[in-house]
Amino acid sequence: MTRPSDIKPREGDLPGSKFSDFEIGAELPETRFTITPDIIAEYARSVESDPRGIEVDGRRAALPSVLFVYLMSVFYRRYPPAQGGIMAGNVLRSFSPIWADEETEVVGTGRVEDKFTKKGRNYIKYSAVFHRADNGMKIAEAVNTSTFPN
Amino acid sequence: MKRKYPITQEMIDRYGVINGDNDIIHYDHDYAVKRGFRGTLAHGLMVSGYAVDMACEKWGKDFFYNGEIDVRFRGPVIPNDVVEISVDPGELRAVTADGDALVGKIGLRK
Repeated sequence: MTRPSDIKPREGDLPGSKFSDFEIGAELPETRFTITPDIIAEYARSVESDPRGIEVDGRRAALPSVLFVYLMSVFYRRYPPAQGGIMAGNVLRSFSPIWADEETEVVGTGRVEDKFTKKGRNYIKYSAVFHRADNGMKIAEAVNTSTFPN
Repeated sequence: MKRKYPITQEMIDRYGVINGDNDIIHYDHDYAVKRGFRGTLAHGLMVSGYAVDMACEKWGKDFFYNGEIDVRFRGPVIPNDVVEISVDPGELRAVTADGDALVGKIGLRK
């Protein structure tokens, strides 16, 4: 089992990345984690959903958004977070379910897509893709835009 | 499809435990006020998670293979707010008494 805190640098633990550190086009290192039924249930309870999962073709599936709690780890592995970051936007596209009755090893990769300043705030936009480690099947892709105070 | 979620600090804290973050804007009231907000902020992805739950109920299996949520966070959601989420084909909106918290699209990819 991989809790998000196992792989996500926490704000304040390391010096936060500065805006000048971010490079458009930079590849984000591969991040591997294992989602378990316990994680799926805990996440579901945290968003007021059924901890058993959602029925899909007679089987229980995790909410696709369970990947939200791992999403920033893909970015923070290369760029540790500063305190006070605020999300501006997010996209998630789902391609296949994570089943709630098994452990799933996931591989996340990503890329810095853009950095810009708007109305005095610095923004970073990055993309991430998540695949199953066992067979390479795509699970989801995401694009996140956040502003950081540095 | 509409649903209301009364937000508490306990809910934010519970999400924070699984999320594994230490961003004090979600947990430290005085810090959040100093940053110009009425109180601590609910994670935008927590509110988005409510919408995804609603979308899975609405579209079922198809959302797991061909779903998409695309949000822009417009305003804060703080403890004691009631956020009302509307999920309609192609349209997503979450509002509090202060206005839009998030807007965007949700549904099946074309």
